[in-house]
Amino acid sequence: MIPRPDKALTDIAVKLAMSIAPQIGASYHAANAGMISMLLLALAQDADRAVANRLADVEELKALFERALADPQAPGADRLRAFCESEPPGWLLSQLSVWHDTGMALLIELHVWAESQHPELDRSIWDFLYHHTERNRFDV
Amino acid sequence: MSLDSLGARLADYLESTWQAPVAIESIEQISGGASRETYRVRLLVDGRERRVILRRDPPTSLIDTERSLEYRTYVAAHRAGFPVPEPLLLEEDTHVLERPFSLMEEIAGCESALAMFSQPPFEAVKARIAERKWTLMGQLAAMSIDDLDVAEFMAVPEHPALHELEYWSGVIHADALHPQPVAAAAIRWLHRNLPPPSSRRSLVHGDFRSGNFLFNTAGDIPAVLDWEMAHIGDPLEDLAWSLDPLWGWPERHLAGGLLPRDRAIAIWEQASRMKVDRSVFRWWQVFASLKALAIWISSTEDFANGTSKEPILAVAGWLMTDRENRILVDRLHPATTHRYTEALVGATGSKATGP
Repeated sequence: MIPRPDKALTDIAVKLAMSIAPQIGASYHAANAGMISMLLLALAQDADRAVANRLADVEELKALFERALADPQAPGADRLRAFCESEPPGWLLSQLSVWHDTGMALLIELHVWAESQHPELDRSIWDFLYHHTERNRFDV
Repeated sequence: MSLDSLGARLADYLESTWQAPVAIESIEQISGGASRETYRVRLLVDGRERRVILRRDPPTSLIDTERSLEYRTYVAAHRAGFPVPEPLLLEEDTHVLERPFSLMEEIAGCESALAMFSQPPFEAVKARIAERKWTLMGQLAAMSIDDLDVAEFMAVPEHPALHELEYWSGVIHADALHPQPVAAAAIRWLHRNLPPPSSRRSLVHGDFRSGNFLFNTAGDIPAVLDWEMAHIGDPLEDLAWSLDPLWGWPERHLAGGLLPRDRAIAIWEQASRMKVDRSVFRWWQVFASLKALAIWISSTEDFANGTSKEPILAVAGWLMTDRENRILVDRLHPATTHRYTEALVGATGSKATGP
């Protein structure tokens, strides 16, 4: 087994872009090969970090929800509490992504409330969105 | 359908339509225009060479658009003397090439790719290309929709900003495969900060950015392309769209990879004879990023659930979605450091009104 799939995908992407795509005569197909190479590079970045990123997001979401639960007016308290008490449903990325989506949907509801009722939490949610987008960024 | 078969069927159709012998010299698919399959075709019509561009509907695309509206917009712009390729015909009968298509004259000897701005010989005329780009955009904004005769086939919204916001937030709600907290926050911000209806209605290209016009070695822009999102709206919409950091990536602090944003706005103001109200313009800049995100979200859905597996849909779904989310967070975070966007607040001025 190749020990570092992210590196292997990067090597394949470079091979496609530098050696194979230039040999393709039709410009449309050469451009597609270039795009597929970019996608492989993106996939390479995500391959190694995706599980860790989902877990980091969920950990920060739980911290936000715990803070919200300190306010008796926070909306959806039962669902926020249930999410905070939940454990990973499994370690497959697809399982973690479903769990992560549940948290993100709750975040949207909480953000609506925080915008009008809780400026400090609103700011913290924006901080989370910044950390979330930066840790999942693709440098391609 | 193979390329040879496509060419043969096109030749048969054109012979019948033009009542002249037509032969295909060559046909090649090219990358231009992400919302239609695009082909460069060299014809022999009655023994004379003619170069045309064939645009055929794909099974699915980045943007769900109305082809006849796009074609009629080309006709209107061409008639008004705005630089577009001459539209030749629109065929919506799917028996001819299995999907609707249009034909236009090819404008040869030009480039459209953003990467060419930094390469010779175009690097030397980059400033002129930029001047022409925002001048044309300003001139389009200044054109009367009555003179263009576009209201005959386009709706005239009472509140262009609200109309556009409702449409594109609807796309996000319909197509998002995952919760989109950044998009949701942006939509709420846009509703809270909705500007009053603009007094001016213009023909808005809808995708006037680097990559969607042809330029040559003289620094001229012989044609603006890809009018599939054209509509009647607020003239600030095109300007804001053209300045989104995404269109200059990785040189995101240059508008469209060409020049500083303030300079682009100044050129546009001179050509349009309108002043940009920066507080209203901020709304349109946030909206531009949301609209782009909506397109990427929709592309993701198309790639995941549709029949087309075009790589560009996946690129939009992964890379473009990522970049536009970062841009929106940067625009709306209460303590933004403007890592991706320029400072938007501070300047004030009169509203964008006609001369």
